Amino acid sequence: MSQRPMMFRARRILRGAIGAAALLVSAASLAGAQSNLSTQGFGYPPGELSSRAIATGGAVAEIDPWSPVNPSSIAVFATKVLFFQIEPEYRTVTTSKGTDRTTTARYPVVFGAMPVGDRWVMSLGASTLLDRTSSTTFKSLQQFGSDTQTVTTKYDLNGAINDVRLAAATTALSWLRLGVGAHAFTGRNLVTVAQAFRDTTSFAGFQLQRNLGFSGGAVSLGGQINAKYVVAAASVRHGGTMRMSADDTLLATAKVPDHYGVSLAYVGIKNSAIAIRASHENWSAMNGFASAEQAPLCGGGTCSAPPTFHGRDAWDVSVGADMEGPRIGDYGVQLRAGYRNRTLPFDVGTHEVTERSITGGIGTLFAAGHVGVDLGVARATRDASTTASERAWMLSIGLTVRP
Amino acid sequence: MSSFACSEQLDAGNACLSDPTVCPQGDIALRDTILEAVTADTTVVGLPPIGVEDYMLLANHGDSLDTRVIVRYDTLMQKFSTKSGDSTIARVDSAYVKLLILVPDSAHKRTGPFTINVYDVDTSATLDTVSSAISSLFRPDRFLGSAEFTFQSLTDTLRVPVSDSAVLDKVKNGKPLRLGFQMVGTTGDLLITSTNKWAGTTLTYRASPDTTVSPVTATPLSHTPTDQSFLAGALADYVIVARTASPPVTSSLLSVGGEPSRRVYMRFDLPSSIVDSSTIVRATILLTQAPNQYGAARLDTMSVVPGAVLVSPQVKDIFTALQFMSSAGSFGLSVLRTVPADSGVKEIDIVQLVRTWRGQTTTANPRVVALRSATESQSGAEVDFYSTKAAAAVRPRLRLTYVPRTSFGVP
Repeated sequence: MSQRPMMFRARRILRGAIGAAALLVSAASLAGAQSNLSTQGFGYPPGELSSRAIATGGAVAEIDPWSPVNPSSIAVFATKVLFFQIEPEYRTVTTSKGTDRTTTARYPVVFGAMPVGDRWVMSLGASTLLDRTSSTTFKSLQQFGSDTQTVTTKYDLNGAINDVRLAAATTALSWLRLGVGAHAFTGRNLVTVAQAFRDTTSFAGFQLQRNLGFSGGAVSLGGQINAKYVVAAASVRHGGTMRMSADDTLLATAKVPDHYGVSLAYVGIKNSAIAIRASHENWSAMNGFASAEQAPLCGGGTCSAPPTFHGRDAWDVSVGADMEGPRIGDYGVQLRAGYRNRTLPFDVGTHEVTERSITGGIGTLFAAGHVGVDLGVARATRDASTTASERAWMLSIGLTVRP
Repeated sequence: MSSFACSEQLDAGNACLSDPTVCPQGDIALRDTILEAVTADTTVVGLPPIGVEDYMLLANHGDSLDTRVIVRYDTLMQKFSTKSGDSTIARVDSAYVKLLILVPDSAHKRTGPFTINVYDVDTSATLDTVSSAISSLFRPDRFLGSAEFTFQSLTDTLRVPVSDSAVLDKVKNGKPLRLGFQMVGTTGDLLITSTNKWAGTTLTYRASPDTTVSPVTATPLSHTPTDQSFLAGALADYVIVARTASPPVTSSLLSVGGEPSRRVYMRFDLPSSIVDSSTIVRATILLTQAPNQYGAARLDTMSVVPGAVLVSPQVKDIFTALQFMSSAGSFGLSVLRTVPADSGVKEIDIVQLVRTWRGQTTTANPRVVALRSATESQSGAEVDFYSTKAAAAVRPRLRLTYVPRTSFGVP
């Protein structure tokens, strides 16, 4: 078979995969959700990590080509690659009043990559920056003049801000890989609020919808140095202006959060890596969105200033290992474990939300190496120094196909 | 005034209830306001129009209410059929009228007897439906028959004998027989079925002594007014009010019900910022009731039915427009139950109707609410409310609770 038809087929597959990716990363489903600590502000950041990286606590993210963090990491791909990831989360929020359990399905990473020429690899993919999918239902007692009415309010939020990245990487030297990425941040938050009244004779329930759209851009640079026993990788992303609009009305502008991160891995053991990572994201750049119009909170005849979210610059540190395990057939099984400690971007009230995760996972190849499967599991504990605490099991399943 | 906060939860999602700050969404602020939004209101008497009632009210409430039922037999057969062929009617025997009634419920069954008198109310007067003219014909020289009943023994059929000679005279001379029914004795009322929905009141008599010959039966029929056949059909049977204690219509009162029945027309003017740009969750007409001190059934509970007027504003005549009221229960409108003798502020919820006004011009969808009695033409009960011409404190108002155009969704 000639090289040219194969290239066309690969491009077709890539185009289809990317089209699907844009849909998939914005899709999330949720059942029976209530309030939580993790989905404050504009949502929860899955971290743009692959299943492999999640299984190591995120420690290998800067050198992991499946994680769309460091553009230089894709230089390792010698063949065309399609990657898709599903990541359900089972969350438990505990308070003195009891426990709420929710399930959220996410599709946080999808991308394709292919070599271009002898020295370059191109990649196009999408990953979830912030997933705001959540649902809150609560009853309240409202007073209208001399009348008091029990009202059930339900908020449904669906959508996310996604990071669509076009990246190019090259192996500049045998020990040096460099990459550059152009990012388009896009997405929407479909906010649905419905209220029902106990008195259905005098009152009529209603449902309102608002579609918040986001657009912005960023560029990223990355590098990776491969020594005999150590791999060091770093990346930086510089954010441009991000816009938030409702329909065709611009509500506010802010900045795409800048990001930088470093991974350092010991690779002296065959097919293994023991890594640490630190990254920083200045989520406060999104605080510009707080200037968007907001209705005041009213109660008891007085109105107070509207509550506003607070984006917090956050560190994400992790340590983990990706070790060669037993062999099954022709391929080995990678065994992974890690620990991660990070601050989530948006406060609960004025309280910082921290997340600590213990992770593990496995990965292997099938179908003569054409298919790779990675499984990751994370047990996360989130705390905000409030009466509520949150725990979650996250299952991450990554599927790699080399056509 | 409006109020809302997560902190006011009664029963919430557990986490949200325990710590409102973990509710990741902002709140929806509702606003409550009361407007003098009625720009025009009036009472229209005589709806539904004379003759179109499903039931005809035959009432005897003394000075409070006295109604009479008129049934017209403008064509009487001059021949009858026998086995040997048709014969000319030369004699009339055992003539009676059969009235089908709605048997009163136990709450309206009075004790004591009452009598139904029948009179010849045929007249050559041009205005043959005018109450005063017809009422004057209920006099002894026009008496045709009577029957006594008790409320407790009523069934759905009443038979009242009428004068054989009077019927024969009408038959022989080809004259119309127009009967007027009056109720006397124990106060109370009856609802007699009308030809608009039922068979109506029939006149039956024997034209032959031969019992194998079927009696002759006549059904109501009216030939006048001669130039408006659709009106003539309705006037085959109808009701006139001989006496009523209902106050006359004044500009300061809005009256619903009574006999003759009254409807209310109210036109609203609402700020576009509310009706078009907000989401209305409650709309309530606040009417201050004026106690009805003299009317019939003023201590009975009656239902006031609100409705939309389903006619283009091109129809300027309010009497005509009010004949196109929506049916009871449409637009989610619920009835107001009140007692005519009562007073105070009454509420009529119209939120679903007000929502239909959103984004509509007043020329396409008039912002009008009409009120009628649920027992229109079937009861003398009449409830009165103060109108926009009354003192400021008791004028009609509209209370609106709405969600203003808001910026929800931004955390």
